[in-house]
Amino acid sequence: MLKYMRSKLISIMQRGSDLLIVHGVLDDDVYNLEIDVSIGIQDLEIKSLEGKWGRYTSPECPRAIPMLQEAVGYQIEADDFDQKVHKVVGRKACRHFANLLLECCHSAKEAVMLVLWEKEKESNPELSFDDYRAGRKVVSQKKQPEPKAKVEVRAPREEVVFDEPVPIQKHTSDGFIIDIHMHTYPASQCSIISVDDIIREAKHIGLDGICLTDHNYVWSPDDVDELRQRHGYLVLRGNEITTDQGDVLVFGLERDIKGIISLEDLRKEALAADAFMIVAHPFRGFLTFGPEQVGLTPEKAMERPMLKLVDAVEILNGKVTPRENDFAAKVAAGLHMKTTGGSDAHERENVGKYATQFQKKIENEQELLAALKEGNYRPVSFRKEMVSGL
Amino acid sequence: MADIPVYFRNRCTCVEVVDSNTLRSSCRLHDTLTDAFVELTATLPDMEITDIFGQVTRTYRDECREFRPDALKKVIGVRIGAGLLKILKGLLGESNECMQLSFMVEECCHGVILSLNKDMLMPLAKSGVEPTKELFAAMVKENIRLYNRCAAFAPGSPIVEGIEPP
Repeated sequence: MLKYMRSKLISIMQRGSDLLIVHGVLDDDVYNLEIDVSIGIQDLEIKSLEGKWGRYTSPECPRAIPMLQEAVGYQIEADDFDQKVHKVVGRKACRHFANLLLECCHSAKEAVMLVLWEKEKESNPELSFDDYRAGRKVVSQKKQPEPKAKVEVRAPREEVVFDEPVPIQKHTSDGFIIDIHMHTYPASQCSIISVDDIIREAKHIGLDGICLTDHNYVWSPDDVDELRQRHGYLVLRGNEITTDQGDVLVFGLERDIKGIISLEDLRKEALAADAFMIVAHPFRGFLTFGPEQVGLTPEKAMERPMLKLVDAVEILNGKVTPRENDFAAKVAAGLHMKTTGGSDAHERENVGKYATQFQKKIENEQELLAALKEGNYRPVSFRKEMVSGL
Repeated sequence: MADIPVYFRNRCTCVEVVDSNTLRSSCRLHDTLTDAFVELTATLPDMEITDIFGQVTRTYRDECREFRPDALKKVIGVRIGAGLLKILKGLLGESNECMQLSFMVEECCHGVILSLNKDMLMPLAKSGVEPTKELFAAMVKENIRLYNRCAAFAPGSPIVEGIEPP
């Protein structure tokens, strides 16, 4: 039986020699919306944009309409156009308007080609569309991924029962507390805090150290050493790597991995480099539903092969809901896996929200790696208590 | 005389229930220049992509004419979940691949997510009660990631009044 349907209909007309009028309708089981956008044929710039709701969910959805104006002036052929629409229209107005606007603008780019081809045909009536485009061919150079290799996995563990929520532990004064998951700008484009500001904030709230885990970015040892000297503070290096199975925090791996790597290949590399892998926010769900809503139980989740390819599970992550953290904690407990905490901070206010409390002092990356493997640490809630006490 | 469009596009995404643990999501595109189809199967509760098929029957792009349907198989095993777009982009390639098919895979995945969103909204729709700002405020409190995620949940909206930003 059909559970859901979304239709998008786009029609484009030409006005004069330099303007396209694009009308788009999105209609699905939940939403109905329309936009009218005008786009310059020569400069491919959005000249005007109007939106209209037919059906929506929250009583405040109409607030999205004026925010659409942010996209006026965008060049639809710019490299970052899609990204800007998602970020600006999607976030400030509404993701469904962003989706429809992209559909309209992608269509408009094709319509422009047709219009220019028609114009060209006025002086060259035999010109085919393929011939017109012939000068714009792109040769595919994409490298195929290497075949997957078998890698070492751990044996299954005994079962446990999941009844109560796993209590979040507060840090105690005896350990050594490091926020081992954080992002800085520009190394992570999604972050809005510089490395200097993140260090200042970490010092201010009383963390013993931080570990930089920018997305698929390897900090040079010299740069981190300079930061350590300049701030007189413990700054360590890790990396958050995107795999085909989600994000993984890796410590002790120097190779700069770009793009997507399979989790199995990453495991192979980590084993060869004697590195340590922590699955980050493993049960981060969607905006309106979490793992339970799709019938995922901790017992079922424990069967995920990915959990056999990592050394530890992040069960306190500052960017997910308490319920999602709790779910991860139950899964990790069921598998008797090591557990960590980290803020996943992308802005000052989140630094140290959660962290990992080690039993002994850590002074460098070798000691961090050894401590992670040893297992004498626990995830803790940190920032809230510290900031209220400042 | 009425305006004659220079271009038309019609894209339809459908999600079907195959059985209690399986959804099939398909995206069909017809426009002035392209005719393409992508269909994927996802299993619950992991929302893992277990099969995928794609074809382009009409296109002006060489990279789409030359696209091997098997190339989409790279996404088998990926879970439809947080961070999905980054993973799809990484697996299915950048501008030198048939981007239309990659986009249609994204649309199929969005369809799965939206069909589950619909499930969340159904009880409210069936009750016939007009959704209140309190109801949505409770949603934001339950999942603070919604805060400032769109105009309705942005600072200044009555829905997030009194809710502490994350």
